[in-house]
Amino acid sequence: MIKRLLPLLFFVITISNTNAQRKIEPDATDIAKAKKLKSIFDNDEDDVALEESTDFVSFDFDSKHNKVTVSHEMREKMINMSTRADIQKYCFYDGQSDIEAFEINYKNDRSARFYFKDEAYNSEDLFHNDARVKYTAVDFPIQGYRYNTYIKKTYKDIKYFTKLYFNDEYPTANKIISVDIPDWLDIELKEMNFEGFDIEKTTEPSPKSKSTRHIYKLKDISAMAKASNAPGPTYIYPHLLILAKSYTKNGETKPIFNSTQDLYNWYSSLTKSLKNDNTPFKSKVAELIKDAKTDEEKIKSIYYWVQDNIRYIAFEDGIAGFQPDEAANVFNKKYGDCKGMANLTKQMLIEAGFDARLTWIGTKHIAYDYSTPNLSVDNHMICSLFKDGDILFLDGTEKFNAFGEYADRIQGKQVMIEDNDKYILKEVPVSNAEFNKEAFVYNLSLDKEVLKGTASKTYNGESRSGLLYFFDQLKSDKKEEFLEYFLNKGNSNIKVSNIETSDLSNRDLNVSMDYDIEIKNAASSFDNSIYIDLDIDKELSNYDFKERDVDYIFNSKKYLESTTNLSIPDGYNISQLPKDIDISSDNYDLSVTFTTSTGLLSYKKVFKIKNAKIETSDFDEWNTFNEELNTVYKEQIILTKN
Amino acid sequence: MKLYSTVLLLFVSISSFGQSKEALEAKDFFWGANDAYKNATEIPEKWTNESAVVLYKNINYDFHKFGKNVTYKTSIRKRIKLLDKAAVEEFSEFKFQKRFRSTKGRITWREKGNNFVGIKIVKPDGKEIEIDVEEESVEVDGENKIAISNLEIGDIIDFYFYRLEPFKSTYAFGFDPVETTLNEEYPIIDYKLFIETENDFFINFNTYNGAPKLKELPTEKRNLRRYELSASDIDKSEYKRWFFPLLELPSYKFQVYFARSGKFEDRAMAFLPEREDIIKTSVSKEEVLDLYENRFRPNGNIGDVKDFFKQKTYENSTEKVTAAYYYMRHYYLTRFVEAIFAREANIMYNPFTNYGIPVFIQNQKQFVRHFTEFLQREKITYDVVVAKKRYDGSIDDLLLENNVNVLIRVNTPTPLYAELFGIHTNINEFSPLIEGTDVYLLSPTKKKIDVIKRGTLPVSTHLDNETKKDITVNLSDDFSAINVSSANHFKGHTKTEQLYERLLFNDYVNEDYAKYGTKNWIEMMRRKKDKARYKKELDALAEKLQTKQEEKFKAAAEADFNLEEFEDYTYTIDATGRYAFDSYFSFTENFSITNALLKKAGPNYIIEIGKLIGGQIDLEEKERSRTADVHVDYARSYNYNIDFVIPEGYTVAGLDKLNKSIDNDTGAFMSTAAVEDNILKIKTSKYYKHNFEPNENWSKMMAFLDEAHQFSNEKILLKKK
Repeated sequence: MIKRLLPLLFFVITISNTNAQRKIEPDATDIAKAKKLKSIFDNDEDDVALEESTDFVSFDFDSKHNKVTVSHEMREKMINMSTRADIQKYCFYDGQSDIEAFEINYKNDRSARFYFKDEAYNSEDLFHNDARVKYTAVDFPIQGYRYNTYIKKTYKDIKYFTKLYFNDEYPTANKIISVDIPDWLDIELKEMNFEGFDIEKTTEPSPKSKSTRHIYKLKDISAMAKASNAPGPTYIYPHLLILAKSYTKNGETKPIFNSTQDLYNWYSSLTKSLKNDNTPFKSKVAELIKDAKTDEEKIKSIYYWVQDNIRYIAFEDGIAGFQPDEAANVFNKKYGDCKGMANLTKQMLIEAGFDARLTWIGTKHIAYDYSTPNLSVDNHMICSLFKDGDILFLDGTEKFNAFGEYADRIQGKQVMIEDNDKYILKEVPVSNAEFNKEAFVYNLSLDKEVLKGTASKTYNGESRSGLLYFFDQLKSDKKEEFLEYFLNKGNSNIKVSNIETSDLSNRDLNVSMDYDIEIKNAASSFDNSIYIDLDIDKELSNYDFKERDVDYIFNSKKYLESTTNLSIPDGYNISQLPKDIDISSDNYDLSVTFTTSTGLLSYKKVFKIKNAKIETSDFDEWNTFNEELNTVYKEQIILTKN
Repeated sequence: MKLYSTVLLLFVSISSFGQSKEALEAKDFFWGANDAYKNATEIPEKWTNESAVVLYKNINYDFHKFGKNVTYKTSIRKRIKLLDKAAVEEFSEFKFQKRFRSTKGRITWREKGNNFVGIKIVKPDGKEIEIDVEEESVEVDGENKIAISNLEIGDIIDFYFYRLEPFKSTYAFGFDPVETTLNEEYPIIDYKLFIETENDFFINFNTYNGAPKLKELPTEKRNLRRYELSASDIDKSEYKRWFFPLLELPSYKFQVYFARSGKFEDRAMAFLPEREDIIKTSVSKEEVLDLYENRFRPNGNIGDVKDFFKQKTYENSTEKVTAAYYYMRHYYLTRFVEAIFAREANIMYNPFTNYGIPVFIQNQKQFVRHFTEFLQREKITYDVVVAKKRYDGSIDDLLLENNVNVLIRVNTPTPLYAELFGIHTNINEFSPLIEGTDVYLLSPTKKKIDVIKRGTLPVSTHLDNETKKDITVNLSDDFSAINVSSANHFKGHTKTEQLYERLLFNDYVNEDYAKYGTKNWIEMMRRKKDKARYKKELDALAEKLQTKQEEKFKAAAEADFNLEEFEDYTYTIDATGRYAFDSYFSFTENFSITNALLKKAGPNYIIEIGKLIGGQIDLEEKERSRTADVHVDYARSYNYNIDFVIPEGYTVAGLDKLNKSIDNDTGAFMSTAAVEDNILKIKTSKYYKHNFEPNENWSKMMAFLDEAHQFSNEKILLKKK
């Protein structure tokens, strides 16, 4: 019975583990504060706010390991703005960092004696990593309830301390970031996205302690958005990027990441220690290229083999987060992470006689390029191929990605390519929306109240690779079923038959699907007229951004061209058509047109999302479009008897 | 050369040192010289389009003992041919714990259970690669993970999990029962189950639906017994709607009981075989009586219940028993609900302190003893009902005690049934899973139960289990929104489900306090200061839950109508209906639909009126050729009255399609539509008439399901005059 009661409770509460009885009730001031904050941060999603949040960062030198260490102390005053709140307070750490203190106190600063758990952090993307999380559930039984928290996290090496955000998971009334920089340390606190935020900045030199304190203050900061498809946080939130350049000890100045070259030197030191013994896959490479007539065929054969045969399984444990696994290991295991796959691609290509190199890159999720040397600049590795004066990029983690095509997540991003002791900076070419074109053609006619005819769909670029990959991953006995489901959307009113497709295992071909279609319940006759809902796809109908306050990012650029041709039955006229739509901006071209000719109605949609994003500045126009589009989707085409 | 062999020797000894004796035993057990499946690689033509085919599946249960020390070994081996990428992905990662704490017998904190895992890959050319599990797995917080190297399509993966669990048990101990079909996700070529036991282990085992019987194998020792179930050519099983696999697919059930002497055997709550060397395959009526005759003596402290009946008079025993049931539901359960919430929400560490010594009724057997104590004192006769759930076979197939449901049939002029209460259950309500089943009735003549006879439990009808909605639909003046007001009523089993989903604790505890004049959790506190503080905290919890509840109601309504984004959603609870199976739980909800159902058609509008009866089952093509029987939860009906207010200046067309009538033995979908004044009145009824239909009736069921689905597609035209 109790079990049956509890689910009710669980959806708001993760049971906290305290063995103490709380006795620190909020007073009138606390409740007034809570109410005031609630009115400032008027948002249903946030229960808890931070009245104050102070980050204090200081540096020290570990002379044993010759490393600059970091101490990051975080003090917060949490308050419950809502009726009751239950949250999890947590802090991550890993092999390069420690949590030295984690305290949660009542407002009178006596310990609330919460029980902390310390667990490995399980990430869906990473098979194994060294990240751990220390956490506890914290309950705020009534409005105005407060806790003070103190966390001290230390980093063994300044390299791994990369940025400081002003925004938190909770809205914050007063944020202070203070960084004490000792004179022996050359560090730049690069101000990112400060524009539009009223950040007060002061500097206090302290000759006595031979350091300078940099203080940043910001008031009334909203919580980090929980919206899906948002740009990476480095694009939207104000933060300090920590550029640790060098330190001077005993009169000697040593670089940390003083320049991009230093960053490269460190990366390069990790890749240079690889043995690169190609023996295990020599014969595989020979087999893969033996029938290839051209260089391109050879490259494709190797690149596709890696895509198809190396499973993505990542171990991010300590240095393995930065150092690629040996190509031979990846080959033998048939699995690896992006670095392992890049390295295997490189070594196999070298084995086949090409000039291939490891390449670091930050995906589109990261706003930076290599002008700011810092470990958070990149998060991915691919392989560059130098051929006939050109550089081509190969990403083994992109399944069903054709040679010479690039996933949107890396397009336009700067890459750092190994070049012995130097490096080469390049950009991944950008393709336009047309490259990903999806074209649908329906030719339909009416048979009583059923729409019957043929359909033909083609998918290019990324619309194609995503589909091919999904199809490939399906169980063999489910593939046929899936195609039907994919085309009729699981709606029994739509019957598809005689499906003919292009070779769904060939990533170099565009995907085509031709089939017969019958649509029930889309046409209704009343009196002398037939009312038709002609559109079974209704793309973009749910993209309403009225409540949204951050850009919307698509996973690739979109170009949809859909044409539906309807034969008008003899003796009928079109008496009603919806209105055409046509709008354009830097980010999109969107049109809907209806044209008629003798006995035929042609309904055409062209939706082009040019940069894979809709920006907040587009939202007004976009929302109007969305309303007009839904009006078209809701409007019936009427055929009336002559 | 010499150096080479020394190095080799050293290597071999290190690697065998690395594996314990048990680990090597486990490996030898599966992959040793006697492995008959070592060369199994071929799959039949009919399965070449499968994702994977199990060449051999072997499950073993070994029970051994020395005095109180039991050694329990369970193991499984699967040898699987991987035929596509999905299968490679499926078997590319394993998780396991090397050491664990046994939860059996005496409680111990030492981790002494061990799991041994072996994995090898057989390449298409026959080359075997054994994975070094020790070396390749990573352990984090006691959990081991391994990513399988070099696994490709066309490979065979051959792996075993071998669990060694020693524990001590002085008393009789029942191992977890096993009830399973032979079929699984992938088709299986060969399947073998072995059970090995010795004295003091008692086995109940039987197979069903055409699964081969368990056979005894010869053994080397007199004491040792070994049994085998061997099957082959087993198709994969797939999820089906309204399907009870244990009734349709070849399956087996078993349980092993450890009992060291006759004394413990008698105490065991199990239908034990007479001797260890007999496998018990069924349980007779007499054996049921024998086990339960002394276990249902009325027993319970019902002093408080007696106090409740003081100075109360009842017309008849039916009223009295009914009153007792609901009072006990409150006294032993709903009275504690606020305290349970207070504890779980951390409002108070021990919230039960003010209840004196609270009695919690925790299981069906305790309930039977407690409630019959009351019946006996009141001199009301009763039978104890021994039933079995529909999904695991009839009472004639009774084998395991755990499968038994017990409840009471009170022999009032019209019998009343009482089952262990939940917060929203009623007298005369019992699990729909045992409705209509054949049962045993145990009757006491004096204190002891000494009569057993067969009986059948009644079954609720579609009229008992009803969802009723009175829906009024108005269009907004500018035709931009459809405003819906829906009064929803539920009774019978449908109601119980709804109550658990929809009521918050403060929606029902107060009505119980008021009905019985009892004090709530706050009132029971002695100190005034505590009262004020805990009240604040409990109220805050209730308020918080309320806001979440509103979101949940809205989401439920959207799911019901198969639509998204209702606006201006509000709800009120009108009646809980918690004091009789046939009284209605009612709530009213109001909301607007702005993005669906209404489509402009020139000066006119198309209304997708059929969608107002909510989402209907949309049968997939492959479901139409169903071969299995149909088991639904319970018979039920959905009766909807929809009043669509026709906007001024408009008429409606298309009513003919809203008149439907399919009514057969299995169910019905019927609808009528007519305009009265300016209101389009639509009535629909959908019935599932039984909780079971044999497969030959499937086409009749499809007929009304399809009709209902078609109705949900129907539209009307709102025509400008």
